[in-house]
Amino acid sequence: MRLIDSVFRQGHLSEAALVEAVMTGDRPAHLERCEVCAERAVELGRWLDEARDLGREAADAAFPAERLAAQQSQILRKLEQLDQPSRVIAFPSQARLELREPSGRRVAASWVGVAAAAGLIIGVVGGQITARMGDRPALPPAAVATQTTSAQAPDADASATPVDTSLFEQDFDTIQLKAVEAIDDLTPRMTRAARIGG
Amino acid sequence: MTGAPPQPVTAREADTRAAVDVKTLQAAGRLEEARERFAELITRHQRRATRIAFHYMRDAADADEAVQDAFIKSYLHLSTFRDELPFEVWFTRILINGCLDRLKQRRRREKWIAPPALDPSGVERNPAEYLPARGPSPEEQLLSEERRRQLTEALAQLPERQRLVFMLSHFEGRTSREVSAMTGLNESTVRVHLFRAIRRLRGLLARAPKAARPGRRVNRAAH
Repeated sequence: MRLIDSVFRQGHLSEAALVEAVMTGDRPAHLERCEVCAERAVELGRWLDEARDLGREAADAAFPAERLAAQQSQILRKLEQLDQPSRVIAFPSQARLELREPSGRRVAASWVGVAAAAGLIIGVVGGQITARMGDRPALPPAAVATQTTSAQAPDADASATPVDTSLFEQDFDTIQLKAVEAIDDLTPRMTRAARIGG
Repeated sequence: MTGAPPQPVTAREADTRAAVDVKTLQAAGRLEEARERFAELITRHQRRATRIAFHYMRDAADADEAVQDAFIKSYLHLSTFRDELPFEVWFTRILINGCLDRLKQRRRREKWIAPPALDPSGVERNPAEYLPARGPSPEEQLLSEERRRQLTEALAQLPERQRLVFMLSHFEGRTSREVSAMTGLNESTVRVHLFRAIRRLRGLLARAPKAARPGRRVNRAAH
């Protein structure tokens, strides 16, 4: 018996010593002499046995025989899968290689966006420049006045010179223009065709 | 043919033989036979492994997965198994490490994901509560369920190491040296954890209702 047990526990075994004795089965000589400690050891042993049984029951109730059988078959099935040589599906990697070959290198996705933005800016600026360059410069007031009088002149001329009204009364079929005679000969005339028909 | 009767083989010897056989068959590429031989090891250690994992993980589904993983790992790494070490110790160490990893994962997950399922009264549901009970009478069944629930709850309140040492030492009947080899803790540390676990469990269960205390089971013979 340890001195500390003799002094502080009136000569009885400590809990730790009792647990050690019960768990290992090494009974100290004190247990043979002391009825109190022997009773404590018996009570502790009973408690431990009960706790063990309850603990096992709880676990076994969660894992009945059927569940263990299912678990075992699952383990063996997984092991079988692991033992089989793995297959490599070549399709995605080959397809990717074929796509990459013509260009030789990949273009980063961010550069595509940059290029699109640059194209847009160039288009807008270029459009503005083109529109401005295409505008006619404003004419000076004198030129405008000249244009106005020249625009009114034909009316004045028209009222001055008499219109050749015979042109309006002339049959268009009888008008002969040398420049288009060749085409005219090839084309049947509607009036003539109407006469032949009529 | 009057040969001497075959010497009885201890469980440890049988395990070692089986493990060495599996290793040899794996090396020879006879994988189907290796799996068949390994199935014997599974059968011998499955029950014990599920008990350890169940009390360590405190969840039947997690325990199931941990046990499966441990057997698969041990099969795949059997080449590292040394004959002088009991297969049981080697395997239990793999199992405990797997359980520890899963507990860490669970803690990380629980930080981000919703808390575990609660029953209508707001108490976390315990697997032991809705497990099929064994008992000849409804009263016995109820008491048995209650005792299991109380013990499971008390075990859950122990720190991880204390719970593990208590399970291995007491539920599995391992010596301090074996528990030390399985857990990687010193023998003296194992003894301290064991004593503290018992003291705390007794304290927790002493506060529980009488029907739930171990050592106070209903005596069927008395009725």
